[in-house]
Amino acid sequence: MIRREHGDFVMTKRLLGALFTLVGGGGAAGLLLLDGIRGGRADFGPTQAFALLVCSGLVVLGLTLLPLGDRPA
Amino acid sequence: MTAIPNVAVSAVHATPRPLVWAQRGLVAAALVLMLFHFGVYVHYALNLAAFPFDYDQGEGFELNDTLHYARGEWPYRDNDVYPFYASNYPPLYHIVLSPIARIVGPAYWYGRLLSFLSTLIAAAAIAFAVYRDGRVRSVAILAGLAFLASNYVYHIGPLFRQHVNMVMLETVAVVVLATLTPGKGSRPRLILGLILLLAAGYTKQLAVATVAAVFIWLFLRSMKRAVLWAIAFAAATGIIFLAINAATDGQWLLNTVTANVNQYILGQFVGLLRQFVGLHGAILIMAIALVVYELYLDRLSLYSVWFVASMANSVLSGKWGAGDSYFITAIGAACLLAGIFTARCMARAWRLPPDFSVRVAALLGRLRLNMLIGGFAQRLTPLIGALCAALFVLYGLAVVKMPLDGPIFGPLGRALNLTSNTKFLHFYDSAGWTMGYSTIGQVPSAEDYANGWRIVAAVKDDPRPLLSEEAAFSFNAGKPVITNPTQLLNLYNNNTLDPAALIAMIEEQAFGAVIFRARFYPPPVLEAVDRAYAVEQVIPMNGYEYTIMKPREGYTKP
Repeated sequence: MIRREHGDFVMTKRLLGALFTLVGGGGAAGLLLLDGIRGGRADFGPTQAFALLVCSGLVVLGLTLLPLGDRPA
Repeated sequence: MTAIPNVAVSAVHATPRPLVWAQRGLVAAALVLMLFHFGVYVHYALNLAAFPFDYDQGEGFELNDTLHYARGEWPYRDNDVYPFYASNYPPLYHIVLSPIARIVGPAYWYGRLLSFLSTLIAAAAIAFAVYRDGRVRSVAILAGLAFLASNYVYHIGPLFRQHVNMVMLETVAVVVLATLTPGKGSRPRLILGLILLLAAGYTKQLAVATVAAVFIWLFLRSMKRAVLWAIAFAAATGIIFLAINAATDGQWLLNTVTANVNQYILGQFVGLLRQFVGLHGAILIMAIALVVYELYLDRLSLYSVWFVASMANSVLSGKWGAGDSYFITAIGAACLLAGIFTARCMARAWRLPPDFSVRVAALLGRLRLNMLIGGFAQRLTPLIGALCAALFVLYGLAVVKMPLDGPIFGPLGRALNLTSNTKFLHFYDSAGWTMGYSTIGQVPSAEDYANGWRIVAAVKDDPRPLLSEEAAFSFNAGKPVITNPTQLLNLYNNNTLDPAALIAMIEEQAFGAVIFRARFYPPPVLEAVDRAYAVEQVIPMNGYEYTIMKPREGYTKP
């Protein structure tokens, strides 16, 4: 997951993909959870929908990076 | 990854002559368009520099901030007491201008010329970065001019506003840092880049996205070093922040952070994003193509991370009071990436990862399509280069904005069959309008000058101070600047303003006159003015109506 170059750690494509997936998935889950706590889907606003779209896009992007392995990001 | 030359590229395969001529013709056409836009920009900037009134609301308050520094005072003051004024911006741009202000006094030209110069430096930095990468001079010039051709850069570039100064500093910082490689000799360049970033942040808060982009990119390549440098950078930023906050009794934090928390209008962001894509779509296609290439086939460059971060930051353009200027950093990054993409196609300088090249070659071999390997480099890559040049031409046609009067632009506008689509009789802007897009860009007319002086004449004889929504009338009438209206409104909306003292002065008719342009004061202040003052006249200037109110006769304080 992590490479070494010039005596330091370097981010790989796989790790970057995992991070994107985690951040996007976590963000989407957090949004839905927060909306549920606040009173359900009826008042799911356009800003929340936009944020959910961004989070979903991040998850898809992250998943496509996972197969690229240990090449440096 | 050790990049090797594309296996498809072979020196023995020269680019076919028709493609070479197509590339040259399209680049020449794009350059002609960009030079035309540059001419329009210079014409606008030089004409605007001499205009002695606020052209864009807020310019006068930035001049007032500069005058505070020239007197050795902080502009972060208590808004609850006379003169009810504070700045909501960091200090660097105003400090840089303050020695000139000390000599010249209140004038708009020096701030406008510095901003204009900043856009030229940013464009030069973009051109330099493109040339450094691909060594294609014409494309490098094209990329730099494309930045200046944007409608957004055009009308915000030559204003007495700190925004483009921030963009210049962050662009130069990115260009300095982008070719950094860990190892001996890299530290001085890293320090220089981080100082430029710090300067950008202390010019305008929005530079935080570029700061984030730089540290994310450093983290991708050198995790331990990135963390250590981030700690040092945060410490330097924090020390300066705390020092200013202590020197201003906490007014710095209140006025630059709390006062910038505004209502978010999603519709404004969506409208601006649509407009941004409509105007800059051709450039964005190339920029996104390079980001995708780097994401999957190469290492992410600082330019790509910067582009993504600045696009993400443009979401803030939906804040009340924000606007199209929030996209300018993204435009700079997009022009830079588009230039690099085009130059690599034209120079056939793409490099693919070895394993990917081998896999593609094997696949084409299995499909008995080996002949495509040479053809790809010989025809397809330069063909994409020609298409990129065509995209620059399309961009040049999309961002047309120009005056429709004068000895050159008048006949040209008629020849192009352009008519005004703005509220100004002699100005065409392909951007149209959407919420948050500044309705400026026209050259002030002789009538605008005359009407500005009419407003000054209407208010200057009364010995009492002037409550004006724009500072220029106070400067030109030789009176102190009272209030920064949007700042008061923002603080009021955040429950951190007590307007009682200001309202009391209004009710005592302590001001000789009140001038409104957009009525951007807190509601109780507006109500007090409407009670104690009556409209005397309304004078138009630069497409806006300036309402002059004088103390209402027979009015008694409640």
